[in-house]
Amino acid sequence: MVLQTLASTDLQSYLPVTLVVLMAVSFAVANVVISQVLGPRRPGETKGQTYESGMNPVGTARKRFNVRFYLIAMVFLVFDVEIIFLYPWAVTFPNIAPYPNGEALIWLGRIFFFILTTVVAYVYGFRKGVFKFD
Amino acid sequence: MPSWITAQLVVSVVTIAVMIHVMLICVAYFVMMERKVSAYIQDRIGPNRVGFDFGLPPLKFLKGCLGLGQPLADGVKFILKEDYTPNRVDKILFTLAPIIVVVPAMIGFLIIPWGGVWQCPDIHIPFTELVIPGAPVNVAGAVFNAGIVYLLAVAALGVYGVTLGGWAGNNKFSFLGGLRATAQMISYEIPMGLALLAALLVYGTFRTDSIIQQQVDAGWLIFSQPLVAVIFFITGLAEANRAPFDNAEAEQELVGGYHTEYSSMRFALFFLAEYSHLFTSAAFFSLIFLGGYSIPGVGLTDPSSTSLLAVLVKLLSFMGKVVFIVFLGMVVRWSIPRLRYDQVMMVAWQGLIPLSLGLVLVNSVLVYLDMATFLPLLLGNVALGVVTLAFAPLLKQSTVNRRIPLYGSRFSPMPGEAVQTSPTHPMARADG
Repeated sequence: MVLQTLASTDLQSYLPVTLVVLMAVSFAVANVVISQVLGPRRPGETKGQTYESGMNPVGTARKRFNVRFYLIAMVFLVFDVEIIFLYPWAVTFPNIAPYPNGEALIWLGRIFFFILTTVVAYVYGFRKGVFKFD
Repeated sequence: MPSWITAQLVVSVVTIAVMIHVMLICVAYFVMMERKVSAYIQDRIGPNRVGFDFGLPPLKFLKGCLGLGQPLADGVKFILKEDYTPNRVDKILFTLAPIIVVVPAMIGFLIIPWGGVWQCPDIHIPFTELVIPGAPVNVAGAVFNAGIVYLLAVAALGVYGVTLGGWAGNNKFSFLGGLRATAQMISYEIPMGLALLAALLVYGTFRTDSIIQQQVDAGWLIFSQPLVAVIFFITGLAEANRAPFDNAEAEQELVGGYHTEYSSMRFALFFLAEYSHLFTSAAFFSLIFLGGYSIPGVGLTDPSSTSLLAVLVKLLSFMGKVVFIVFLGMVVRWSIPRLRYDQVMMVAWQGLIPLSLGLVLVNSVLVYLDMATFLPLLLGNVALGVVTLAFAPLLKQSTVNRRIPLYGSRFSPMPGEAVQTSPTHPMARADG
């Protein structure tokens, strides 16, 4: 079939990625440079201030912030790594031998155990109040 | 002729060169479409003045044009405005952030199979004896086995630019906006990944051409997996930071969010990234759930037809689906009010993540039982939805941020209070 003849696993099928990255980077850089060149330049004392809705700015923005954002980032890592490990399984599992197959059952059980470890982490986080945003 | 120059590479390069322009023009016109849609939803007309006459008398007949010249005027204005760098910003990151945010948004479309398979003839290079042998090629930016994973990985990179943009501004509003956007984008990445996992369990492949072929054979996935499609659509909106999830730029709270300090083209790049993201995720949605370019009953859009005409028809049908999904997103944006920030995060962590995890489990059991066909998949989705709806009221409700009954309020009346909902003033007349 046509699809099989097209299946290419070698590195050269990734060549267009470099091309499109180059195009995107040059587009972005060119836009920034062109508007710097063409636009006017009128700096000013008040104009250069931080914009805080017309008030005189108070202090800097380099301050401590809510620890909840760190918690989100940490829980995200747990889930994201899990999902990345599940992707190769998701595309190979449907292609192994059909239903009455002991090996597939073992494999499914292992994946369920793997997901269970994350569910335990989720429940722990839930009980600790990580997902309460109020 | 070097062996790495194949017909596929030539077609890939041409496709990229064409589609990157199509995408940028689409993005420019999406901005106008957004304004038009919002205008019609709010009973206005929207932009309708700017044509292509450029103020020149000989081109007077191009005046008006339904306001189609608006995106061009906007672009010229963005370039000619002063690109101002405030005094207290982190200058390097301030310039770098828009570039970092726009690059991932622009390279994601690469793996979308716009035109299906084309029977490419031999390519004779002019003035030489060299010939690139013809072969069946995919009219896509690139064809590789890790297609879907590439798209996910690239889409996830956009969060760096938003974080850096918020940090570099050295402004409390943009900093808070950047933090919110970061937390929201990484939170919605998880249900998106899980919903995609549930879909990939049905397909069993990362290859885009094979995904479309399977949908042609077995029906579009949106019909057998409606819940997955809805979750994917919601997370797509949230990933692009669009209303009702646009807390990162909630005007009432945060001025402009992470791009408060930006102006001119660097500001425009953030918008460009948002709309390119929308374009790519709409194409992604059409690919996974709406059968890509295929339309049932139209022979030219079948993957087996490989003529040049078929490629063009497929491209048109794919773009039609993309525009439809984007239009749907715009209607959602202008009809649903913005969620509060804690609600946004709760939807992700307490709602969508357990639900999509459940979908993955149901689908994997169905795949194990060899029942990944239309009816069992649909039943699995419906059953999980019903179970969720049945158990949701049993969960412990939060006691903070709840509605407090107010005497005389239309929206949260005191218990037992009669509520006046229709207008009482004599000037107000009932519609219809």
